[in-house]
Amino acid sequence: MAAGTVVEVVMPQMGVSVSEGTVTRWLRNVGDTIEADQPLLEISTDKVDTEVPSPGSGVLQEILVQEGETVPVGTLVGRIGTAPAGTPEPEPKQEPARAEPEPEALRTEPEPEDDDEYEEAAPTPRQPVAPAGAGNGAGERHTFVSPVVARIATEHGIDASTLTGTGRDGRVTKKDILGFVESGGGAPEAPPEPKPAVSLPPPLPAEPAAPEPSTPPSTPATRTPAPTATQPVELERGETLEPITAMRRGIADHMRRSLDTAAHVTSAIEVDMSKVVAIRERLKAEFAASYDVNPTYLSFIARAAVETLREWPLVGAELRGESIVTRNYVNLGFAVALDGGRGLIVPVLKHAEGLNLLGMARGVADLAERARTKKLLPDDVQGGTFTITNPGSYGTFMGTPIINQPQTAILGTYAVVKRPWVITDDAGKDAIAIRPMMNLTLTYDHRLVDGAYGAQFLRDLAARLQSWGEADY
Amino acid sequence: MSIARVAEPSGSLQEAKEWGLDREDLLGIYRSLLLTRGVEERGQILYRQGKIPGSFYTGRGNEASAVAVATAMARDDVGTPLHRNMGVHIVRGVEPWRILANYMGRADGPAKGKDGNVHMADQNLGLVAMVSHLPAMLPVAVGCALAFRIREEKRVAVTWFGEGSSARGDAHEGMNFAAVRQLPVVFICDNNGWAYSTPTHLEYAVEHLADRAAAYGFEGVVVDGTDALAVYREAKRAIEKARQGGGPTLIESVTLRMEGHAVHDDASYVPKELFEEWAKRDPIERYRRWLLEHTDFTDEEEDEIVNYVKRHLNEALERAEASPEPDPGTLLEGVYAEPEELDHPHHM
Amino acid sequence: MAEKTYLQAISDGLRLQMRHDKRVFLIGEDIGVYGGAFKVTQGFQEEFGPWRVLDAPLSETAIVGGATGAAMMGLRPVAEMQFADFISCAWDHLVTIAAKQHWRAGTPVPITVRLPSGGGFSGGPFHSQNPESSFAHIPGLKCVCPATPEDAKGLIISAIEDPNPVLFFEHKHLYRRIKGEVPEERYSTPIGVARIHQPGDDVTIVTWGAMVYTAAEAAAKIDDLSVEIIDLRTIMPWDKDAVLASVRKTSKVIVLHEDTRTGGFGAEIAATIAEEAFEHLDAPPKRITAPDTPVPFAPALEEAFLPQVADIVAGLRELASY
Repeated sequence: MAAGTVVEVVMPQMGVSVSEGTVTRWLRNVGDTIEADQPLLEISTDKVDTEVPSPGSGVLQEILVQEGETVPVGTLVGRIGTAPAGTPEPEPKQEPARAEPEPEALRTEPEPEDDDEYEEAAPTPRQPVAPAGAGNGAGERHTFVSPVVARIATEHGIDASTLTGTGRDGRVTKKDILGFVESGGGAPEAPPEPKPAVSLPPPLPAEPAAPEPSTPPSTPATRTPAPTATQPVELERGETLEPITAMRRGIADHMRRSLDTAAHVTSAIEVDMSKVVAIRERLKAEFAASYDVNPTYLSFIARAAVETLREWPLVGAELRGESIVTRNYVNLGFAVALDGGRGLIVPVLKHAEGLNLLGMARGVADLAERARTKKLLPDDVQGGTFTITNPGSYGTFMGTPIINQPQTAILGTYAVVKRPWVITDDAGKDAIAIRPMMNLTLTYDHRLVDGAYGAQFLRDLAARLQSWGEADY
Repeated sequence: MSIARVAEPSGSLQEAKEWGLDREDLLGIYRSLLLTRGVEERGQILYRQGKIPGSFYTGRGNEASAVAVATAMARDDVGTPLHRNMGVHIVRGVEPWRILANYMGRADGPAKGKDGNVHMADQNLGLVAMVSHLPAMLPVAVGCALAFRIREEKRVAVTWFGEGSSARGDAHEGMNFAAVRQLPVVFICDNNGWAYSTPTHLEYAVEHLADRAAAYGFEGVVVDGTDALAVYREAKRAIEKARQGGGPTLIESVTLRMEGHAVHDDASYVPKELFEEWAKRDPIERYRRWLLEHTDFTDEEEDEIVNYVKRHLNEALERAEASPEPDPGTLLEGVYAEPEELDHPHHM
Repeated sequence: MAEKTYLQAISDGLRLQMRHDKRVFLIGEDIGVYGGAFKVTQGFQEEFGPWRVLDAPLSETAIVGGATGAAMMGLRPVAEMQFADFISCAWDHLVTIAAKQHWRAGTPVPITVRLPSGGGFSGGPFHSQNPESSFAHIPGLKCVCPATPEDAKGLIISAIEDPNPVLFFEHKHLYRRIKGEVPEERYSTPIGVARIHQPGDDVTIVTWGAMVYTAAEAAAKIDDLSVEIIDLRTIMPWDKDAVLASVRKTSKVIVLHEDTRTGGFGAEIAATIAEEAFEHLDAPPKRITAPDTPVPFAPALEEAFLPQVADIVAGLRELASY
């Protein structure tokens, strides 16, 4: 025995099935000396009564279990000190603190507090896509998605339930989805039996097989030819080279084409957002509790924009050849930036004219969520008639977005900044107040919309925001 | 109605010499007896101190029989000792510290923690580790003897079983096969009166288990298991007979199990008078008296042996307690053997 | 190369290995003078002598226990159970000693146990069983189930050379019905490696033993389905990688065995597929097996018991249209 140690006396297990023992008699008292192997106490179990020999020599320091007490096997019943001053037991090892895993930052998620992150409009394809069945499949549809189909669908950003299945009860089989993926490179025309072709690159094409955005033959603009990959590129010191993705190619083509097509003009207006701010504060709690939805600034602006488009329909119109196409509906697009500068996507909230503030907030949240989780349907990124973008997400107050073809205009929102502002009270007196001010820009196609028209749109839009009433929804 | 031969008690020093034991050997037997008992007594204490997991078995009262048979085995013979045959491990050269380590499930026990109690064996010393299903070792020992016969080696397999396990088919099948092929195997039946709480008359209906040997076609002998030299003589005779191609023998060694089936059993079903009677026939004490009577055993010689044993066992305890617990990472190792292991033959 | 029956291939493998390695000896009932109940060892005692081809007493314990002891002493016994069904008489020595001795005591037990298994000829409950799953479950044992003559020869040699207890399930119903090209020389087939009996793209069948042929017959009956058949060849340790690779390819799998359903080795395979290839499945893994009864005697009953070509065809069609 090492000098200065404490020896523990435990209740032994007298037989495999024995789980406890009773101390019947201590043969020594605290303070008595004892030699190793000498009987120290007597115990009784349901198998046998026996003596327990002392596990060490020294002084009985402690009796922890009294005569007559029954304790489980292995319980500490006493301690023997093998030197007058016992060395303290070593501290138990500290478990290293486990680092909490950082939750992954989801940068495609629009921040609820400030305006959603919108960048330049992403290209929308000319080609409309007819998803098979389009949600109105006849009768019962077997919507079960098998594990392998689910995985392939996720990898390609496809919603399998929109595909035609040849499996039992119309189930989409592995063959079906693989066929869809392989043929998704952009069919020139919709086949008679609609087999959906993905015409927009999915939000994050993981497979190199992801189809590139299609440019329909009817588009007048020429596409920049893809660079032949065989040209070796000379690099200067300090330069690195990486090929562009399909998505980036699509964006590049669209931006160029848009500028070449439309006559871009931008007008701007300043908006006093105090009423919106106040009402938003009030609604935040109510919306969260009742609807689990955040009434973002964007939803207010979108609501106001949709109303204003009713009065100034050319802003939401389209120049098609020699004709002007106006609509009695608004399919509202929101530009969403993707992680890491990878690109843009513009999900479209269909028939936004029929939505109130709550509906708008919900619709935007839903689209943003689905953009983030790569669950957008092909239908979600087409058919827009007007787009809102937020060049002001990082604090900028002015910008010149590019119009999302074939639309006629794009609304830009900017940072809400507290500024000193001159206000006139009811008595006609001027004063300086601190107001949350926001700029809005309307970039429009001067082929169709003239300056005065565009400016009036902006004036009315701003007026709506500035006079937002408690009862407005 | 007895058929088996009843062995004579041990005789003179001269007889011992005739059977191959000189004085050195005789003192060595005494030392082995003390070591055997000492290891088991230490194990008892450790168990009661909570340092030995599971159960604990001893062969108190059977020390002489186990030591004697092992002494009669040659270096290249193999054995399959059971839990009351600690003396076999001691005589064959298993170090007491490793036995204690095995009891405690430590990494240095022959079983490295994977099996406990006396379920251990150092194959390099010609021992095969027992299992719990008894007498399963009998057919295995017969298989060892078969290997010796096929290779025409002059080696013998010795195997043990209790009178209780004699009731199982393995005993019959093992002995029958050995007899049919005249294999070099010796069967030692440790008849200690009780199989747990079951007395002999509920285990078999013949007068002596050794009587069954005749039914298989070989010789059976009954011997007083507390008489070390008588056991030695019979074992030596049987082993050498087997070695010369004479086939198997069944030796029934009669003792009383002086403790419970295991340490948690107080054997209250055994009549107290039996314990008293057999205590007087303690095999170690008996052998000591024989040494005194026949070999001028001196106090110095005795003290030397006693002190050696004490010292050796204390060192064994220290070393065993210092042996580490087995690493849980080794749990999955060894389920399968690798071909390289067969390139390094064990004691074969 | 020569054409041999499945039985001749086993015989050939045994003979070549015995000539190659003097430590190999055979022990079983009626294997010496009589040449074995199925004549696998005909002529062996004449060539190798009575101490290498031992006629054992009717005593499976002595056979398997004896083989265990002899193997511990450095020999390479090949024990024969006259019918696989009789292994239950030797269960203790196989499972208690042979399987565990290396893990707990460091002693290898290089025995081979030959087990004529399987039904299809009115052998009844005690001469027709396929007990491989019971032993696959015991850590320390290996189980092989060759289907072709070439594999039978290579695997009996591997089994004998393996330092562990290997159970060699030779399907009785294949003994004389199946012929194949078998190399003349002594060669070993690796234990634990499956064989693609026929490649395919649409559905995988994982199977072994006589069922390999039943599966092939069934696959041939469906023209427009490309069926991949994997002959596992070894049940323990089984070639998981090969099976999972095939499942990733076809996404539809049938596990087929002649043994009864519950706790049959197919359950282990199906569970592993579900655990490790879940995202590759286009249909649930399907098992086709015998039902949970002892093997019946009357032909009409036995036909209802054993998986038939029609059962597999139905299973294939079901999966194909899922």
